Amino acid sequence: MIKADPVLLEIMKSLLTAVAEEMGGTLGRTGYSPNIKERRDFSCAVFDAKGDMTAQAAHIPVHLGAMPLSVKAALERFGSLAEGDIVVLNDPYAGGSHLPDITMVSPAYMDNKLLGYVASRAHHADVGGISPGSMPLAKEIFQEGLIIPPVKLQKGDEIDDSVLDLITRNSRTPAERRGDLSAQIAAQHIGIRRLQELAKRYSQELLRDYMAALQDYAERMVRDLIARMPDGRYTFRDYMDDDGFGNEDIPIVVTVSVEEDKLALDFTGTSPEVAGGINAVASVTLSAVFYVIRCLLTDDQVPTNAGIFRPVKIIAPEGTLVNARFPRAVAAGNVETSQRITDVVLGAFAQALPDIVPAASQGTMNNLTIGGDDPRTGGRFAYYETIAGGMGASAQADGLSGIHVHMTNTLNTPVEAMEYAYPLRVTRYEIRRGSGGAGKHHGGDGVYREVELLADATVTILSERRRHAPFGLFGGEPGNKGENRYFPAEGETLPPELKGLPEKDSYRVLPGKVTFPAAKGARVGIATPGGGGYGAPMKRR
Amino acid sequence: MQPIVGVDIGGTFTDFVYFPGDEIHIYKLLSTKKDPSTAFLKGLDILDVTSDTLVSHGTTVATNAVLEHKGARTALITTEGFRDVLAIGRQTRPKLYRLSFSERWIPVPEDLRFEVSERVAADGTVLIPLDMAQVEQALDKALENGAEALAISLLFSFANPTHEQVIKQMALKRGLFVSVSSEILPEYREFERMSTTVINAYVSPIMDRYIGSLEEGLQRRGNCILWIMQSSGGIIGAATARSEAVRTALSGPAAGVTGAFHVASLAGYDHIITFDMGGTSSDVSLADGRIRRTAEGNIEGWPVRVPMIDIHTVGAGGGSIAWRDVGGSLRVGPESAGSEPGPACYRRGGRDFTVTDANLLLGRLDPEHFLGGRMSLDRAASEETASSLARKFGMSKVDLAEGVIRVANARMEQAIRVISIERGFDPRDFTLLPFGGAGPMHALEMADALHISRVLVPRYPGVLSALGLILADFVKDYSLTVMREMEEVTSGELTKAFEPLLARGKSDMASEGFEEENIVLEKALDLRYKGQSFELVVPIESYAVAEAVKSFHAGHEKRYGYARPDAPVELVNIRLTTRGVRQRPEAIYARRSTSSNPAAVVSQTQVRFGGAWHDAPVYERELLLPGHEIVGPALVAQEDATTVVSPGWHGRVDEWRNIVFIRRKGEG
Repeated sequence: MIKADPVLLEIMKSLLTAVAEEMGGTLGRTGYSPNIKERRDFSCAVFDAKGDMTAQAAHIPVHLGAMPLSVKAALERFGSLAEGDIVVLNDPYAGGSHLPDITMVSPAYMDNKLLGYVASRAHHADVGGISPGSMPLAKEIFQEGLIIPPVKLQKGDEIDDSVLDLITRNSRTPAERRGDLSAQIAAQHIGIRRLQELAKRYSQELLRDYMAALQDYAERMVRDLIARMPDGRYTFRDYMDDDGFGNEDIPIVVTVSVEEDKLALDFTGTSPEVAGGINAVASVTLSAVFYVIRCLLTDDQVPTNAGIFRPVKIIAPEGTLVNARFPRAVAAGNVETSQRITDVVLGAFAQALPDIVPAASQGTMNNLTIGGDDPRTGGRFAYYETIAGGMGASAQADGLSGIHVHMTNTLNTPVEAMEYAYPLRVTRYEIRRGSGGAGKHHGGDGVYREVELLADATVTILSERRRHAPFGLFGGEPGNKGENRYFPAEGETLPPELKGLPEKDSYRVLPGKVTFPAAKGARVGIATPGGGGYGAPMKRR
Repeated sequence: MQPIVGVDIGGTFTDFVYFPGDEIHIYKLLSTKKDPSTAFLKGLDILDVTSDTLVSHGTTVATNAVLEHKGARTALITTEGFRDVLAIGRQTRPKLYRLSFSERWIPVPEDLRFEVSERVAADGTVLIPLDMAQVEQALDKALENGAEALAISLLFSFANPTHEQVIKQMALKRGLFVSVSSEILPEYREFERMSTTVINAYVSPIMDRYIGSLEEGLQRRGNCILWIMQSSGGIIGAATARSEAVRTALSGPAAGVTGAFHVASLAGYDHIITFDMGGTSSDVSLADGRIRRTAEGNIEGWPVRVPMIDIHTVGAGGGSIAWRDVGGSLRVGPESAGSEPGPACYRRGGRDFTVTDANLLLGRLDPEHFLGGRMSLDRAASEETASSLARKFGMSKVDLAEGVIRVANARMEQAIRVISIERGFDPRDFTLLPFGGAGPMHALEMADALHISRVLVPRYPGVLSALGLILADFVKDYSLTVMREMEEVTSGELTKAFEPLLARGKSDMASEGFEEENIVLEKALDLRYKGQSFELVVPIESYAVAEAVKSFHAGHEKRYGYARPDAPVELVNIRLTTRGVRQRPEAIYARRSTSSNPAAVVSQTQVRFGGAWHDAPVYERELLLPGHEIVGPALVAQEDATTVVSPGWHGRVDEWRNIVFIRRKGEG
């Protein structure tokens, strides 16, 4: 361990984080699809020559733990990478998280010496599989889309067009894929160039020393945080609603042990992996833990790097919901189970840090996909987005309403943008008043978004917290559960998928996870969960 | 030409730049916070501003109304089912890794957000007619609940403004101030349009009262005309500012950049990076032959989609506080001592070691002549706060001071990289132009780090904003969302689409007194590949559709590194900027004859650079004449700024008495 100069430490911290941020800026600007450009569903990071993460830009939390594993997977497959190589992958069982997230890994060299690696990960709107948008309700990963193990997309600065063709040919939107992959390549180039410039300005030795020093620095910050927590063991349990194939109330359990400046998280007791795609691979579990620790570090200038994990031990038994094995389906593990793992870990920490940890937030991303033929253009369309909900209340404040929580922070699609782009009309978009749990501080309210179909289409919903409400803390009440609604078109004969569903007012209550053909003129309404309350309601002023 | 005076009201000083017709007069007064117009009118008295003078004014009245939540009580009427669009926004949380947030301030309280039954489709078709009875009810309720202003923002109103116009007429009859989304920002994306319309309703009544009191005072001086600076760097008439005050909400830094650009252009440099360092933050912007604008502005987290100068702000300034974090790193900011209590050396109770204290310890500030001797700095106080922090790090006080400057400079350098390198420009092709009190103290070292080889320090770095006010053009911007595939658009249709914008633009300029030959019309199209969600602004000379598409592909290639000539292109918005070109004061600063004597050194001092003390002469800026030369290391002292000349730099005073520094070859 080198003795770091406090001035250079601060300067290198800002410069290396800036490399990751500039990669993200490039990817966001040059990206083609709305998912990357408008929703900014991507992440970028810088790694040292050993493949340990040194800095990551603040992009999407669910990518946090997965980024380091993608570099490791690339190195495991190829041993080492040569100058000008780019490895591409999306295999959840080899460095990926779910199939739409495609990652690129490149080494950065100068004067034939390895400086480190850069990586970028972006959510691609379609990578094949049984339904448009590649976020299906599936039983094995083969149905979810194209699996890309670590392969070389570029060798010695030469792009391998056959690899590019293989990927784009497997997508329903090949031109868009090509545009987005080009943007990722551009981001990789920027990252490499910036690392080389830093090496030139400060020398290779200094750059290497400070890539290491920054990890030591983050480690010191985390050890300081853990040391301030009361020693002890804290267990928490919560449930996933279902897997979409009839398995319900699936437990996730964690025991957090704090001992001096070390932390262990043991997920023993969690349900075995299941048939439907809510299985989380290990990297997703890592991301959730990483995210919670990153939040507990209240200083937002701490670099997000491998040092954060050194004092932390994670036990996620193989073959469980939090460390699934090939070839389990995983599409929703990344977006839904990741949220519950976060809830459970926070629930355990709440016992140790009651003044810092909030009640449960909405705990789902409410993934809505609508796709089919667009009668206006004669082409196909695929609309996908995630819908905000309520944030859990804390010791300090009420939870925010209508906001994305924890593992995601993507923008909504403007109503007016949506109606230009798709044969859809938004009929209502409002806060679900009173859906947040009561408490000394109230949980934030969920939202209600209702969409009318102007053409026949396939609707897929992946959502949670329809059976198990977001929990309150210390006497605070739970938030309201979410509800998915279907208002059939006039005279519509319901498809077999929707037979026997409970009827309320003018609508049918849809399951939390469902895919079905919907008729022109019908409406789909998503009511998202509220956040849990904090403290007894009678203590509210 | 007509006499003109620029009045810029800042937090501490109100600056005046007066050009009666011969040469420039500069004056500074302490600002009067309670009623800013007091200092404003007093200054005009002192300068003896006569009738028939143009008074060009930069004001933060609108900005402060938002920042302090002291705008008009504002109501909102929108489409049924969508009153929470304002509260939900884009559904993102402001900080990624934070578990708790304080309640978000919303400019329209819940009891003043109303829905009315109506709906317009994307193509302008009325799907549900407007329910007039509901409008009346909403207006009753709004007035009952004390609303003074009303924002009207309906879905797809830009495609068919009829419903908004009907509501507007009904609201005007009830005596409300009205802000209409299809008039303020007729562009798609409902949240951004609604936010801009609401902020306009929130600030305009405040601006209206402020301008009213100014004009009253001006009327007593005879026929003075009042102009107001917008966020875009262009001027508008006072009448427009009273009803469209949102256009001034981000105007704080606009006049300074405008002044900087004109000063630099006159001196022969129109590719500049401006660097304005203040007490708590620093603003940087870039001009490549023209000032670059954007419509991505925000205030207090609320989008304001009117054109503004593209400025990047970073939280590092003279008052930024240095500290040691638990990981052992030397941090500078984001906490700032501001001007109250200010740095330790101000002796106003500041106990923290700041960037200004660091400059003082390094000999880069003259403690006796700060603000022209109006204030003296206490070096001992800086030393004292430095020593406890230095002890924590186990370093000497001067090493700490140098470290603080290096960390602060790194932050500001990063801001310059964002507006240059990340937008496809190489900073080496630009001249760095520092202004504000602290800019010239840091500029040369930053230029070293960025490999910028020329730095221009203007004659009056402290009053560039007031100067910009008398140099800016008169500018109005218009836009409209059309959303068509370019393949289907004919040049005749394009001509027709621009007609209403042109008619409005020409009549607005005429009513401000501009003759046809002094009006410049700049047309542009917002284009994108179909399926993309971000547009590129493509200026057009004619209505030739194919040509516009061609320059879009080229522009996309330049900015994003690729083009897709075969992909369909979508026309999102049409834009018109009308520019009223004015006669500018020729002699910005009266030229003085070149001196053949070497520049006078008024004293000698010691300044620390790169870990060692250097002997450095101190030059008095007032005595520097065209032709004088300065070799670093040196200091140049003047009333409102100190220029630190690091080793390796060579300055020469130009004919406008700017100092142009060049890095000597093989050094730095």
